[in-house]
Amino acid sequence: MTGETILVIEDEAPMRRFLCSALTSHGFRVAEAGTIALAERLATEARPAAVLLDLGMPDGDGLELLKRLREWSTAPVIVLSARDREDDKVIALDVGADDYLTKPFGTSELLARIRVALRHARGLKATDDPILAIGPIRIDQARHEVTVDNEAVHLTPIEFRLLALLGRHAGKVLTHRQLLHEVWGPRNTHQTHYLRVHMAALRRKLEADPARPRWLTTEAGVGYRLKDE
Amino acid sequence: MRTARTYVIAVVAVAAATLAGFAAGDHITIADQAMLFLPAILIAALGGRGPSLAASALSVAAFDFFFVPPRFTFAVSDARSLITFTVMFVVGAAIGTLVARLRAAEEASRDREQRTAALLAFTRDAAAATEVDGVVAAVVSHVRAVVRVAAHVVIPDEVPLHGAVDIRLAGEAAVTPEQHAFVEAVAHQAGVAIGRLQLAEAARDAALRAKAEELRNALLSSVSHDLRTPLAAITGMATSLRERATGETEALDTIVEEAQRLSRILTNLLSITKVESGAAPRCEWVPLEEIVGSALTRLERELVDRPLQVNVPSTALAHVDPILIEQLLLNVLDNAAKHTPAGTPIEVRVSREHDRAILEIADRGPGLPPGERGQVFDKFFRGSTTASGAGLGLAVCRGIAVAHHGAIDAMPRDGGGTRFVAWFPDEGPLPEVVDDVGDEPVAIASAS
Repeated sequence: MTGETILVIEDEAPMRRFLCSALTSHGFRVAEAGTIALAERLATEARPAAVLLDLGMPDGDGLELLKRLREWSTAPVIVLSARDREDDKVIALDVGADDYLTKPFGTSELLARIRVALRHARGLKATDDPILAIGPIRIDQARHEVTVDNEAVHLTPIEFRLLALLGRHAGKVLTHRQLLHEVWGPRNTHQTHYLRVHMAALRRKLEADPARPRWLTTEAGVGYRLKDE
Repeated sequence: MRTARTYVIAVVAVAAATLAGFAAGDHITIADQAMLFLPAILIAALGGRGPSLAASALSVAAFDFFFVPPRFTFAVSDARSLITFTVMFVVGAAIGTLVARLRAAEEASRDREQRTAALLAFTRDAAAATEVDGVVAAVVSHVRAVVRVAAHVVIPDEVPLHGAVDIRLAGEAAVTPEQHAFVEAVAHQAGVAIGRLQLAEAARDAALRAKAEELRNALLSSVSHDLRTPLAAITGMATSLRERATGETEALDTIVEEAQRLSRILTNLLSITKVESGAAPRCEWVPLEEIVGSALTRLERELVDRPLQVNVPSTALAHVDPILIEQLLLNVLDNAAKHTPAGTPIEVRVSREHDRAILEIADRGPGLPPGERGQVFDKFFRGSTTASGAGLGLAVCRGIAVAHHGAIDAMPRDGGGTRFVAWFPDEGPLPEVVDDVGDEPVAIASAS
């Protein structure tokens, strides 16, 4: 099989076995590392297309490895973490992780995340299409126009910037900080309530039922995601 | 007693001088005779001013009666003797006064020394005390030593730094200004010592709490890791198998669901210890719609056959910790899904009063049995009609509401069913959000 290689960095053998079996059965090749040291070697030798990184590695800080990896690699990194570790996830995302998976998760979630991450990695090299289509939502970045089910939706400039940003990263989670930084500028990264209120307005305009959002989903304690499937 | 003795000494001294005069007989002149009385006055003067005056008067009388001619009468033949009498008396009185003054000065200095030493000893004892009781004991014993009365110490609830304690003396003891000053100094020193002890105690408590917190967190993160990792592997493996399975997957579905249930129980266990540790929630202004949306999405599977009525104005903000409130909502909804018949509707409603946000979840289930209304939020309470659950979910809800200085209550619903109502107070005024790039302000009206 000529599938892409995924580097799995996970210290627990049973968890590693699950990840490997799920990935290989879907055509990926897998490089396994149970320690940070081995992970660092495999990251250069195996040339992985994507990395799965457990943040709770016993022999070193997974975050440090992530930072070092980011110095030379653009391979998407998906962080594996527990539910009550939102802060760790946010830090990991802010220092360069592409997404996260909350344990426990199933094969379908795992593969969906990896697919999104790989598509974004490839998309970095592709030409920019000014039109983004996510489900019923169409975002024309050149003309600043948004339609839902072919009906025009009026957005304020801030709402448009937010939506376009989420649309360019469709399927990926963006942290509060990343969104605030991109839309409001580097000095406003703590005004989370600005973001929340504008997201509420966006949901009101784009979602059929804003209290049960289908596309603009909230990742509690982390950020937002514009789903793309 | 002491004063009486000094007068006796005065009388004896004068009598001795008189006897000495008789013994000397004609060998001495009358002027020498007068001189004999001076040592007597001097001796008497050691007893103070009163005895010295008494000795002077007695000496003049004895001299006149026994020695001045005509002897054995108080009559005086020679008027010059009157001068001798006057000089004798004045000299005696002067000596007495001087000696008495010297003695008083000496006594005062001795007292001062004693008080200083006592204060020093007290300060030393108070500084060495490791408990407030030790300081109090030192106050009582040192005040008794100096003032000679029992003392009673009143300690204010919180001694301000450099403040004094209140020392009350027993009875109506006559206290000299010096003793009063001493008691005040002791009160001040005791205040300083107790203030120091209280500070030290507070620091020790804080250190202990921090240590306990650290231990608890270490334990929890280890439990969390140790239990979650196998659960994650089980869930993962089961989903892997389910994917490849041909035909019946019910057993694998059950494994996945039960592993997820265990994981939720674990989350609740961690949440309850977190909110009970007194760690302040990380509150921010959040539209409750966002939290409701997130919770409903996560419970999609559990609520799949439920007609949901969601009445959440998207402008209703609450000052809450979004992660904790989502947990609260998940628990109440999960509870409703578990304990009400399949297909019965569930309603989620958010509203605002002038200074708080209100979250309401209502079902059309059998309702709470009478008498259980107040207990459902107790830890490990399992209702008589409860089918399963560790009895933690609603306890976590109460913990979360209380951590927000709010509350949660369960009550019967009109027309059957149960209403869970939680409210969270605002912190400061509602924020105003202005669109920075020149849009119209986004109004955050309170939905009423």
